[in-house]
Amino acid sequence: MILRSALLGLAFLQLNVMNAPPKPKSYIVLASDQQTVAANKKSTVELRFQVVDGFHVNSHTPKSELLIPTNLKLKPADGIKAGLPEYPKGTEYAFSFEPGEKLDVYTGSFTVKLPVEVTAGEHTLEGVLHYQACDHAACYPPKSLPVKVLVVGK
Amino acid sequence: MKRNAAVLAVMVVGVSLLLWAGWHNIRERRKAMQDANANRITLTKDVPSQTAASGAMGTPGNPTAMLKGHPAPAFTLVNSEGKKVSLADYKGRPVLVNFWATWCAPCKLEMPWFEEFRGKYKGDNFEILGIAEDDASKDEIVRTAKRAGVSYPILLTDNKVANLYGGVDSLPTSFYVDKTGTIVEETVGLAPKDEVEANIKKTIGGGL
Repeated sequence: MILRSALLGLAFLQLNVMNAPPKPKSYIVLASDQQTVAANKKSTVELRFQVVDGFHVNSHTPKSELLIPTNLKLKPADGIKAGLPEYPKGTEYAFSFEPGEKLDVYTGSFTVKLPVEVTAGEHTLEGVLHYQACDHAACYPPKSLPVKVLVVGK
Repeated sequence: MKRNAAVLAVMVVGVSLLLWAGWHNIRERRKAMQDANANRITLTKDVPSQTAASGAMGTPGNPTAMLKGHPAPAFTLVNSEGKKVSLADYKGRPVLVNFWATWCAPCKLEMPWFEEFRGKYKGDNFEILGIAEDDASKDEIVRTAKRAGVSYPILLTDNKVANLYGGVDSLPTSFYVDKTGTIVEETVGLAPKDEVEANIKKTIGGGL
């Protein structure tokens, strides 16, 4: 009987270990690879980001001025004329303890569209995505994700 | 006798299999994470408190876990009015040391609760010290605290105090310090209001 209880306890422990989300080093990863666009024509580069499961980040337009918005800053690059990034709309989120307080966040994947005009050849688009992440109960200090994507004009 | 030995052997095998399965799962998960991140860019850490999370006081998984039952680390910070405030000034009183930031939405949800409990347990000499672990300007910090209805002391970080408290890599993080200066409870993240009150009661009752 005691041993059976011990076995059940171990099984429960194992289940908990498996379900505990590992603490990531970053809360967003860049999911876009190389992009090919028409050379010397107005095109759009799509930068897809993935928010780690169990976390959310403020959208580009959070509902409070005190919340840190997700913001992409790009470096000027030879051969790429970039316009202003277009951010997706966020989704409503509320902490379970305060369902009335709605936030505007990104979860899962989200795509930032960048209007560009690119000359023929290979170019590297570089920049930084600034964001601030939270989980269901706690928030993490603002972070910066380096962004680097190869853009080919054909 | 033989039957007992056989049952015991089966159970030992069962336990071994469970342990092996757990270890195997963890290894597979780690491998999958590594594979998934192999071609992706890793973040750079840009906040001092984040680096401190791996400090000597705790473990990477739960950096503050080792502080419970220990004396609260001493600190002297400047409050929002520019005056120096030390934890030692509150010796003999139950104190809640709460790390928060202007950008932390759950922090701002619990701050009015703290204010309410501060009033409710005033007779027990209960006090709250809100440490703004934030790069925001003093004006913004004061404005945010005021908007949350806070009248308890708000202290400005010196970028070292979080290190003393195990790094404080997520907010809100709270340390409940009893009259003897011992940390009787610590919480990371937003806790339900009744849990906050229970911790305050424990803090008031501690060190008697």
